[in-house]
Formats: sequence, C-alpha cells, structure tokens
Amino acid sequence: MSQVNAREYWTDMNRAEQGVATFMAVTIGGLLVAMLAGGLDPTYFLFLFGLGGMFALMSLGLNAQWGFTGLINFSVAAFFGLGAYGAALMTATNSPVAGGFDPIFGLVLGLVLAAVFAVAIGIPTLRLRADYLAIATLGLAEVIRTVILNERDLTAGSQGLRGIPGFFENWPVLSTFPEAMPGLRIEIIPGQPVVLELSFWEQLLNVSLLLVFLGVSFFVLRRAHRSPWGRVLRTIRSDEDLAKTLGKNTYWYKMQAFVLGSLVMALAGVFFAHLNLFVDPSNLDPITTFYVWVAVMLGGAGSNRGALFGGFVVVAIREGPRFINELPPAPVRNVLEGIINVIPSVTVEIPSIVLDAGPLRLLLIGLTIILVMRYRPQGVLPPQRELIWPDAIDDDEKARPEMGVREAKTGEIDD
Amino acid sequence: MAVTEQFLELAANGLVYSSIIILGSIGLSLIYSIAGFANFAHGDTMTVGAYATLIAFGAVGGAGFSILGLPLGFFVALVIGIVVTAAVALVTERLVYKPLDIGSIGLLITSIGVAFIYRALIQVQFSSDSRRFDIDRLRPIEPLVEYGIRITKHDIAIVISAVTLVVGLHVLLQHTDLGRKMRATADNPDLARASGIRIRRVELWTWVLGAGLAGAGGAFLGLFNLLAPRMGFSELLVIFAAVILGGIGSVYGAMLGGLLIGMIVSMTPLLSTVGIPIGGEYAAALAFIVMVLVLLVRPEGIAGEPVGGG
Amino acid sequence: MLAAGCVGTTDEDNGDGGSADDDGSADDDGSSGDGGGDQYSIGMVDSLTGSLADFGERNQRGVELALEDVNAIGIDDRELDIIVEDSEGNGQGGVAAAQKLVNQNNVPFLIGAVGSGVSLSIYESVIQGTDVVQLSQNSTGLALSEFPDLLRMSPSGQSQSAALADIVTEDGYDEVAITYINDEFGESLTDAFTGFYDGEVAFERAHDGEQASYSGLLSDMNGSGADAWLFITYQEEFATQVNNMFESGYEAQLYGADSNRGNTVISNTPEGSINGMKVVEPSAPVEQDSFQEFSSRFEEEHGEEPTVWSAFAYDCVITAALSIKAADEFTGSALSEVVRDVTRPEGEEVFSYEAAYEILDNDGTPSDIDYQGVSGPIDFNEDGDPVGTLQVLEVQNHEYVPIEFREG
Repeated sequence: MSQVNAREYWTDMNRAEQGVATFMAVTIGGLLVAMLAGGLDPTYFLFLFGLGGMFALMSLGLNAQWGFTGLINFSVAAFFGLGAYGAALMTATNSPVAGGFDPIFGLVLGLVLAAVFAVAIGIPTLRLRADYLAIATLGLAEVIRTVILNERDLTAGSQGLRGIPGFFENWPVLSTFPEAMPGLRIEIIPGQPVVLELSFWEQLLNVSLLLVFLGVSFFVLRRAHRSPWGRVLRTIRSDEDLAKTLGKNTYWYKMQAFVLGSLVMALAGVFFAHLNLFVDPSNLDPITTFYVWVAVMLGGAGSNRGALFGGFVVVAIREGPRFINELPPAPVRNVLEGIINVIPSVTVEIPSIVLDAGPLRLLLIGLTIILVMRYRPQGVLPPQRELIWPDAIDDDEKARPEMGVREAKTGEIDD
Repeated sequence: MAVTEQFLELAANGLVYSSIIILGSIGLSLIYSIAGFANFAHGDTMTVGAYATLIAFGAVGGAGFSILGLPLGFFVALVIGIVVTAAVALVTERLVYKPLDIGSIGLLITSIGVAFIYRALIQVQFSSDSRRFDIDRLRPIEPLVEYGIRITKHDIAIVISAVTLVVGLHVLLQHTDLGRKMRATADNPDLARASGIRIRRVELWTWVLGAGLAGAGGAFLGLFNLLAPRMGFSELLVIFAAVILGGIGSVYGAMLGGLLIGMIVSMTPLLSTVGIPIGGEYAAALAFIVMVLVLLVRPEGIAGEPVGGG
Repeated sequence: MLAAGCVGTTDEDNGDGGSADDDGSADDDGSSGDGGGDQYSIGMVDSLTGSLADFGERNQRGVELALEDVNAIGIDDRELDIIVEDSEGNGQGGVAAAQKLVNQNNVPFLIGAVGSGVSLSIYESVIQGTDVVQLSQNSTGLALSEFPDLLRMSPSGQSQSAALADIVTEDGYDEVAITYINDEFGESLTDAFTGFYDGEVAFERAHDGEQASYSGLLSDMNGSGADAWLFITYQEEFATQVNNMFESGYEAQLYGADSNRGNTVISNTPEGSINGMKVVEPSAPVEQDSFQEFSSRFEEEHGEEPTVWSAFAYDCVITAALSIKAADEFTGSALSEVVRDVTRPEGEEVFSYEAAYEILDNDGTPSDIDYQGVSGPIDFNEDGDPVGTLQVLEVQNHEYVPIEFREG
C-alpha cells in the first residue's frame, strides 16, 4: 500500500464520505465534550456505544445476505434472538435447561443454533423469488419467536432469562479487572466531576468484547466479499440467471451467505445477552429486524462501512426518544425562543407536541425508511472502492500519450 | 366437551374471523396484482380503519335503532371509517409510492415505513392501551348454545356485512366497466394499456377498494375483539398466508384463501383434543407454516396464475 | 479539594478510614448526573404504560402525596427528587429503565417495580453486585423472598394464595379451574394456591399477556366442568377474558388475586358480568389514624378512595426519605445499612414523616424510630418482606366492596 497523507485521503473521499466523516467527528466530539463536562455519564455512554456496535454487527450480517447476495431476509430478529438465547440458556440463573456454565459454552450454543436454524429456514425459502423470500422469512421468524415464547420448559417463556453474568466472569485476569482498577475522578470543569468506577470498567470490558466481535466479523466479511466467492455472490445479486449460466449452483452459494450472515447476527445476540444481562422473547420482535434493515439501507447495501455507520444512527433513533420527548426538543425550543424573544415586546412560546418514546421511535424509523428510499436509495455510503483491492488503484496518473493511435499511424487527426 | 360440540363452536367463531381475514386478503391481493408489490402496510391500514371508525362512532353516537345489536350510528361510523381509510391510502399513494421509481422490492420496503408511520400516528393519539367500541356486549344466541355454538348477534352482523361487501365487489368486478378494466389490468397490464385503459385510474381505484375493504375489516376486528395499535400488524402475516394460499392475482382465490386460513387459525385448538400436541397458541404459527409449504409446493396458490421467473 | 484538571482516585473521597472500597455509587457532594446540589435524587421504575398501567397510576398518586409531605420539611435542607422511568410492564423495559437510572443518573436507591418478574429481572441483571438499594412497591410474587436484599413494601403473595384456597373451599367448591398469566407472579401464586388447596384442580393453564382474545382458553376452561374459576392475571387481560366469557355465555363463580382488580376491568366489562367475584388483596390498616388522614387527602385530590397500592408507594418514598436522613452519606451502602432499621419494631412508634424526622434530627439513630406506614407496620423481615393483612372484596353491582379481613 502506498503512503497516503491525511490531506490526500480527505480529497480522495467523495462528498458522501466526507459528509459522514464530518458528521461522525462532530457527534463523537460532542459526546466526548458532554462526558468530560460531566453531563453524560461515561458508563451509560459505553452502554449506548455497545448497543450501537451491536446493531452495526447485525447490519454486517444482513449485509452479507442482502448487500452481497441480494437476499431479502426478514428473519434478522430470530437469529439475533437465537444467539442471545443460546448464551442465556447456558449461563442464566433461571435457565430451565442449563445455567451456570461458562459463557464460552453459551457462545458456542448460540452459534450452533443460528447455523442449524439458518439451514432450516434457508431450505424452503432460498429458492423463492425476492418478495416471497421476504414474507416467508418473516413468517418463519415469527414461528421461532412463538416457540420460544410458549415452550416454557425449555426457555422460561415470557419471564425471560435473568442473572446472566458478564462474558469474562471466569477468565483469570479480565474477571477481576473491574474491581482491580482504581476508581478515577477526573475534574475538568470544577464541580462537575467525571467518575470512572466499577460499573465503568465493567462496561469497558463489554465494549472490548464487542470490538473483538466487530473486528473479526468485519475482517472476515471483507475478505469474503473481495474473494472469488464474493464475486459469485455479487453476480447472483445482479443477475441470478447469469450466474446459473456460468455453471454456479446458486442455491448453494445463497445458503452459504445466509448461514454466514446469520452467524454474525447470532454473535450480536450473544454480546447483547452479556451486555443487558437479561433476555426475553420480546428481543425477537420483528421491529429489531426492521431497525437493522434501516441501518443497512442508510449505510448502503453491500457497504460494510456503511453498515457500521447505519448501526450507530439506528441506536440514536432507538434510544434518543428516551431523552427527547417533545418535538421540537426542549433545548432547541429554548434556544429558538431566546432568539425570537430578543425582539422587544415579543414573547413567543413555541408550541410543542409531547410524544411518548414508543410512537416517536416508530415515527422516526418510518420516516427514515421513506426518506432514504425516496432520496437516496443506494444509501449514504454505497460501496465503491471497498470492492476493489487497493493495489488495483493507481495513485499516479497514467501518462497520457501525445497522439492517438490513428494519428500515430497515419498522421490524420480525428475530430 | 364432545369433539363435535367443540368443532361447531370453533367453526362458528372461525367463520366470523375468516370474514375479517377475507376483507383484508382481497384488498391485499388486488393491490399486489395491480399496483405490483407486496403492501406491508396493509395490516396497519386495517388499524387505521378501526380507529377511524372508533372516532367516527364517538362523534356520531349510538342513537337510533339497532340492527343485530349494533346501533345505526355504528354503521354510519363504519362507512365513514371506510372512506377515511381509502382517503389515507390515496394520499399515501400520491405522496409516497408514486414518486418512487424503484421496483417492487423497493416499494415493499417503503411500505414498511408507511406501516410504522400509520401505527405511530395512531399511538400518539391513543397510547398503546386497548379499547373497545362503546357498544354493549351481547350474550350468545340462545337456541344455538345447545349445539355448542356460541356466537352473538354482533358476530352475525360481521359476517353479513362482510358478505355484502364481498358480493358488492363481485358485482363491481363482473358487471361494471371499472371492474372489467381492473380485471384486464390484473391479467395483463401491457395489453390493457395498449387497449386504451387508463392504468392510472385503475390503480387509484384499486387503492380505494383495497384500503376500503381493509378498513372495514379493521373495524370489524375491533368489534370482534378489541382495538389496539398493534392489531393490524398482528394479522398481516395471516393475511399474507391467505393471499398466497389463494393465489396472488385472483380475487376469488383470496376469498378462498382467507376462508381456509381463517378456519385453520380458529380451529387449531381442535388438534389438542384429537391428540396432536399443538396448542391454540400456535395457531398463527401454523398458518405461516402452511404459507411456506404453499410457496414450496405450488407458489401460484390455488387460483393464481403460474409464477414466472424471479 | 482537587484542583481543576486533576485526575485523582475516588479512594481519597471515601470519608472515614480511607477504605479501599471504591464501589459506592453517586459521590457525596449531591451532584450526581442530574439535579443540582440542593436535591437528593432517587430512582423509580414504574409501570406507566402496558398491562400494569393501573398500578402505575395508583403508585404515582401515592408518590405525589409522599413528596408533598417530605418536601414540606425537606431532608437536611434539601428536597427529595424522584426520577421515574417507565418499565412498560415488561422485563425488558424494566431492565432498560433501571440501567439508565443506575448508570446515567447514579441513583443509590431505586423504587421498583410493579411486576414481580420485572423486579427480579432488575435485581438480578442490574442491581445485584452494585450497592444500590432496591425496594419494590407492588411485587407480590413469591420468589422475591429468596433475595433478602430485594426489599418490598407489599407482602408476599403466599398469604393471598393461602387465603384464596381457604375461601374457595369455604364457599363449597371442591373443584377449581385456574388460568394464570405466564410470568413469575402468575406462576408463583398459582403454585402456592395448588399447594394450599385441598380440592381438585380440574384445569390449570398459563396464558400470554396482551392477547386480543382468549376464547380458546375459556372454552377449554368451560369444558373442564369446574364451577369455580380462578384467574391470576392482570387487568387488561382479565377484562378481555371477561368479555369473551360474557359473549360465549359461560357462567362460573369467579375468584381473583390482587392483580385482577382495577378500574380497567370495571370500565371495560359489561355490567353484571363479574358480580359475585371474590378478590383477595393486601389490606391497609383502615383503623389507623394516619391511614384515614391519607385516605381523605387522597379522596380530596382524586375523588375516590385510595387502594392499598397507593399506600405502598407512599410508604416507599417515606422510607427512602427517612433512610437518607438517617444514613451517614448518600451512597447505596450507607442507605442499605439503615433502611430496615427505620421501620423495625425497635424504637418509638411514629406515624408520619414529620414525627420520624423530628426524632432523627435530634441526634436520633435509625433504631430510635419505628415508622408505621399508612400501609401497615412494614417491619421488613430477614427476607426483605413486610408484615401485612389481607382483605377480601366482592363485586356487587359492578363495584368492588370489601367484605372481610384476614390475617396475612
């Protein structure tokens, strides 16, 4: 790889990428400022970051199915749930089948369940055309959710599984890390200290686990996408008949992509179990599937970076309404009123609608879907250079010949 | 309880539930074949109809004579609810679907966004608690009880109303100009356009009829059970199962599919009685499995046209 | 004091003895995540929406009155502030709400929740392992008794189940059909009931919450042949079940637990559909002056008499306030040391926040007072459960009427 300096890197990015990078920088910067000023608790920030990463992970998985291969999979929530339940059934205190095992077993069980059910769902559905695949996967995901909800002797039903330990609870050094770390008190603005204590270090461990999962998945999927295998998938996506003509067993390829994506989604579920420490059938509600779809659509189908970006935006949509329950939000309103009321003898109160978090979330998701489909259906960061090996891009301009070929041969000039 | 008694009881209830499903599945099938995509907002369209009727009934009131236990005001509210639902669908079509040029999968995904917006707006107004129409509940019809059939006059009203609407649709499709054009467009859009049919008008009418029927179905569902913002989405997959079983593109297939799926869902408790350990709570899951089987074995369903390539 | 911009460890802050213990919650300057330096902020997880919304409403009314009483005097010149989050009546919502309160708002004391499964999930997934004190306002499921650090203001449902078993037998039914909500609360009370009941359980089945219809379930219940039907479920679900029963023409003698009764049931069911139903729930000490005063204030404000649930919520707030006053510092560990003592039988009996505060203010220790709540003597035992009595209500003319009291 050739050396790239920062300035060149910036101008190399297209406008969309620059926009996203700026947006991310501003957002992360803003959050850091809020934290250092004592306004946003660091532990809660890490929790939100964990959630964002989790959605990003699921988006990576869906990307492997929809982005690479064109499979409209509406069963994301089911695989997320299977991963979460696999982890929980092995480790939760009220697990009807096991409980108290090391989380590694939960990880294995979650992945195994995902693989098994991916094949089970894939067999009847992967031959179907796109819209039927969507409906069928949604239906089968609901079947899985219904079974988990009702087979109380296996899954504890709607009570849920609780008392799930952290992932590293049995590891030699890491399990004592949170207690061993000193409580830190950072005071940048006097009177507004930032306290980093036990819960912070615990959450930091969780986030590290997430970053490992994310890193591994991102790396594996990127390699897969650029490989000949990935190329077949892309051919299937754009023209399945062509792929068949080329002698590829498209069904088999689709199955592989489906299982691969489902494994990544289950990984997200395992992480969720050890983050939330509680799992119940509501985690398999179809809305989770649609959150992940929004993330992938926003990011751009086929783009792994876009999937990451989309994941974090979706968490903002999901958790934001907890804090903002008026439209326009109170701080915005105060600022606007302050500006308008500067005019003497004018006292204006900007009307606001009070909204509960529930409907506000639905509204935001619905609007996001419609706006993306209307104005940028290819997503914010559609894959471009991701698909090309870096070596294949020349950073130097190729020398242009002085004359065209015909000129060179005959001396005539083309108009 | 004797198996026959339970059978009759479940079958009677199933008939009412099927009527509601049929109202939904006809609309979905029409939209699927003429507008060309799977409308995932159809369930929430039913919810819109239910709540529109609720509001209208609140305004109109329960005065006037009663038919089968339902005040005249309810029927007036029902008509208002149907009209409002159709209007909402038209506005949505104009604002959201028409400007998009992205193929049927894109429209499918967009309709999910529309579904969320419908539900969000209703939930803002009504919170997520359940409600009922302010109509007195009725005891079951006496003479039928000894046969094990426990239905009320409201149930009869639902079935009769649904049948009326369906017959009306049949008349429209078979004996009117618009109906002829709709059938032609569903069969072969290019030929229809070539023979001078204004596709745009046919499409708009499809939305009106499809959403109107769904709205009626929603109102009846609210009467049969209760109203809650999730009510339509919960039935969406069942309605898809009905449409797929019946065959997309065939209104009569949708009716048959609706009847069959509605009965399967309602009569699932019978399985435990005859020794198959699938409880009533798996009724909807059973419908979905039937749907997947249909897609595997005979994707065109009972009455639809054979499915072409992907 | 640390200079601005310096980083230090929190070890130096922990007042006496520089203990290596650094896992307390909010610091002792009163400046936690929210609220200024003139407030003590605690958290509350309540069912503001969802199946248990009726309880949420009752609780908030009790909390309002309690805050009036506490902040009329204050706690060491500071006001008590309660940050309320909605559990939406389910475990996932409760856990998310508790996460926010504990991690973002750093509360050392958490009142929550209503549903027993929700309280347990919050405890095992969020609270356990931290120092936060958890006091459930309304949970009656039996399993909470297994966790001594999970306190509750409402007595265990075990006594309700025993009483129901006795009542069904006394009414002459030797067969009963039971259906219960499929969560911790429903399961534990049903198990206890079947343990206590001498007759035959002809039918026993769980049901899911928030369903549009329960016709199938009720049809099967009817088929069991039992004439006594016991419902252990929440109000929305029970209202739907009553409607289904009515429209199917089923008749039976109905029994229910504390969770069934509420305005949602009355306003959503036909007149006369549940007449004769008997319900058992915890009772408030109706003879006690402080309760009567509470009751009349409540009636003035809301136009109806309070249920015992409002009284529980009221007492939760008062107990929290007294604990804050009595504790050395505003941290979870300090509060947990005193929270039981402020209501235990050692000490002078006091019946109001004012009276208790006076004693504590004059160098009193927590064992010098025995707060008697408007819901009863409280007196947390070693399982974290209070003492209580029960009352039996009967539905007459579509209204709940108390008919007798029983010992808990």
